[in-house]
Amino acid sequence: MTRYVLRRLLQAIPTLIGISIISFILVNSTPGDPIAVRYFDPNITEETKAILRRQLGLDQPLYLQYLNWFAGISLRRGDVVEEFAVGQTTCTYLAWLDTTLCDTQGGILRGNLGTSLSTKQPVWDRLLERMPATLELGLAALLVSLLVGVPLGVLSAVYQGSWFDNTVRVLAVVGNALPAFWFALMLIFLFGVVLGWLPTGGRQTVSLEMRFDPVDRLQHLILPTVILALGPIATYSRFMRTETLEVIRTDYVRTAKAKGLSPFSVWFVHALRNAMIPLLTILGPAITGLLSGAVVTETVFAWPGMGRLTLNAAFQRDYPMVLGAVMFFSALTILGNLLSDIFYGIVDPRVRLS
Amino acid sequence: MYAHRFTPLAVLTILVVVLAACVQPTPIVETVRETVVVTQEVEKVVVVTPTPVPPKRGGVWVEGSSADASILNPILASDSASFDVLSWFYPSLIGQDPFSGAVVPTEMAERWEVSEDGLVWTFYLRDGVQWSDGTPVTAQDFKFTYDAIASDLVETPRKSNVELIESIEIPDDRTVVVTFKSVKCDGLTDLGLGWLPRHKFAEDFSDIMTSPENEAPSVSAGPFVFKEWVRDDRATVVRNETYWKGAPFMDGWIYKIVPDPGARLAQLQTGELDMIGLQPEQLTTVELDPNLNIYKFKDDGYSYIALNMGNPENPMPGRDEEGNIVEQDPHPILSDKLVRQAIAHALDYDTIISKVYLGQGYRMASNVLPAVEWAYDPTVPFYPYEPETAQALLDEAGWTDSDGDGVRECNGCATAEEGTPLELTLITNAGNTTREDLGALVQDQLNEIGFQINFEAIEFGTLVQQLLGQTFDMVIIGWTGLGSDPNDDAFWHTRFDTPGSGFNFVSYSNPKVDELLEQGVSVPGCAPEDRAPYYKEIQQIIHEDVPYVFVTGTVANIGYSKKFNGVNPGPWSFYWNIEKWSLAE
Repeated sequence: MTRYVLRRLLQAIPTLIGISIISFILVNSTPGDPIAVRYFDPNITEETKAILRRQLGLDQPLYLQYLNWFAGISLRRGDVVEEFAVGQTTCTYLAWLDTTLCDTQGGILRGNLGTSLSTKQPVWDRLLERMPATLELGLAALLVSLLVGVPLGVLSAVYQGSWFDNTVRVLAVVGNALPAFWFALMLIFLFGVVLGWLPTGGRQTVSLEMRFDPVDRLQHLILPTVILALGPIATYSRFMRTETLEVIRTDYVRTAKAKGLSPFSVWFVHALRNAMIPLLTILGPAITGLLSGAVVTETVFAWPGMGRLTLNAAFQRDYPMVLGAVMFFSALTILGNLLSDIFYGIVDPRVRLS
Repeated sequence: MYAHRFTPLAVLTILVVVLAACVQPTPIVETVRETVVVTQEVEKVVVVTPTPVPPKRGGVWVEGSSADASILNPILASDSASFDVLSWFYPSLIGQDPFSGAVVPTEMAERWEVSEDGLVWTFYLRDGVQWSDGTPVTAQDFKFTYDAIASDLVETPRKSNVELIESIEIPDDRTVVVTFKSVKCDGLTDLGLGWLPRHKFAEDFSDIMTSPENEAPSVSAGPFVFKEWVRDDRATVVRNETYWKGAPFMDGWIYKIVPDPGARLAQLQTGELDMIGLQPEQLTTVELDPNLNIYKFKDDGYSYIALNMGNPENPMPGRDEEGNIVEQDPHPILSDKLVRQAIAHALDYDTIISKVYLGQGYRMASNVLPAVEWAYDPTVPFYPYEPETAQALLDEAGWTDSDGDGVRECNGCATAEEGTPLELTLITNAGNTTREDLGALVQDQLNEIGFQINFEAIEFGTLVQQLLGQTFDMVIIGWTGLGSDPNDDAFWHTRFDTPGSGFNFVSYSNPKVDELLEQGVSVPGCAPEDRAPYYKEIQQIIHEDVPYVFVTGTVANIGYSKKFNGVNPGPWSFYWNIEKWSLAE
């Protein structure tokens, strides 16, 4: 087992390096460079923009920019030690190459995701800053979607073909098809503006003295959780329905029934446990998805999460921020898949990890 | 005691002037103005008790914004959201009249004088202004800030603010002497940035880029001090008890980030927000809400359709390295003035303003905003909506529909090959529904007279690439924040026609306009009456040449709560007297 995990982790390294190269090329080939988009302002002159490009290293060829981002090593023509040896960066002039070599103490190789162009903060700090809000909403949505979706799916299977089953199936299709932004605004209008029961957005009521108020936080969580859980509830219920129907046709369920066990015990103790196993395979990626945030829900409900962070960074052409987020999410995806494989092995002894 | 019996449909204004004896040692003269509108027959006795009403302390104002600030440092920030927040903290040299936009001595400079040659400006600073930690605000803070901008260690978009400055001297803590390299009549705006607190930064500027002050300013010389900033959620500021214009009555101000416009409106209605910028389609909802006010004003911007006069296949700079004007490779269709004028005649502006902008706009004849009264030329006519004139102009330009397919072809036109269809691509930024609607309408109206317009809404960054790269035909876009000076040489001067970066992206090349633009900013003395003739002539020429089709001047609407008394917004500042606002209840 340990060997398996270690091998999977080692395999992740070339994967991540590959991702870093591909995403670096993709991000840099989007039209509109960071300086032109950020400073679309006639008061900021071309000369100023040229200086900024040089200071940020955006005037360098792409492979040198990659080297700097990946390994924290910056190469520049000529003797420019004085200009670039700033702060933690140390530079040496290599006379035989007529090149200045700078060590910026950065690079993803050293676990440094770089500095955001728009806020000048370390990318890693900006990601961590969003973690609590993203986790809060993501976990709430996951919990609700499992607690609602799984029983709905099992009950649908139990009463297969009944009005209940049909209703759930129709609602599942509707739930998946509803445009989240529109439904969210409808909920805001109904529960926030007309009825005044729930707050319309944000993580908490803003005031000058912010205190942790669990009730207030929970109220703010309700609407975005409903919106975010809607899709997964539909998916899980349909998934569980299919899996349960498959399991109840197996011999051991028939045996359990024949032994005279109560229907509840048959369905929820014997059938459910085995029907849930395949669910684990989709849960791993689902957790990654929740961590990377939900753009639409976060936007409509003014939720300060990862999705908005990444989207805004992309619109502003904040390359280090976008790349940092991509690397972070890639690592999470690899980890999520590994975890779900391991769990699978634990829950289902027929699956051997080797 | 007064007793009034109201008559039906009467409007009564009660003006009670009370000399109030307050708890405070000094008495305050207070004016209470009450407007009562009676629309129903009522029998009612109102007793107005002239109790002394000192302005009530307390209350919070929450502004809703779509975007969050990026950085709270006045020389590093470039987005308007950052300035919305950081402007509370940093003092500046000169003030701006909230209603006229004129330069006024309401900030650090009490008065100033200019040398005869217009190059040396001496500013005399106010005494007794302090940062909130008690350190005096002095000329050294100003010098530190501008030296920082010039420093190699600082990555700032404001380098151009110091380009024309020869030197900054501070003979003493209350005097600033700025020497310019040449006369530049709009040069005062270069001196308008907020001042950094020198005592909070390293003297050699080495920590400007990384200082915690950029995230959480520890001192303020404005009405509020920084309290908290949770990115993409809210920024909070609270009363500065030591503000030199007098501490605000309100407890604080919050900048709350609500990205979705529909959600912003909902929060304004529920009272979670006190102020938002309104979109035209939201006006009715706010007008019908008894708890809300609307402030409508002409903002300093306009929407236009840029017409590329250079060949998008071969963008060329306006001047060569020696500064000589470069003959442009012409746009096959749009380089012909007759075609551009035809487009200007083909659009139904009144319908556009009433249907697309829902009445929130006004017509523009040329490049200077009517708000800049002294430079605006009211004699320049608007292009009338005359499709027949437009058709005639196209015929004259050699674009006729010879094969009867509804699209004109080049039959003796100036710069395209014979038989080329009159086909152009029109782009705008996706997500701006007003511009998308406008694009569809423009497409219709131009196709009507024989164009074939391909309209596409694309992502903003991609649009910027095409626009600055000069690889477009026509773009719907707008300018905002043009300010109160008419100098807009960045849009028209050949010096700024540099593919990839310059803002004369339409490749407008007119030596006469170049000359007038240069003269307009270098008139000795810079008196408005001396500068005005240049700008009036420019407006005539731009109108004639149609590098842009001016669609509409921007009318902005702000919806805000009636929570506070004393709110008196001007087009140049909503908050200029915020320290005097007091809770209405």
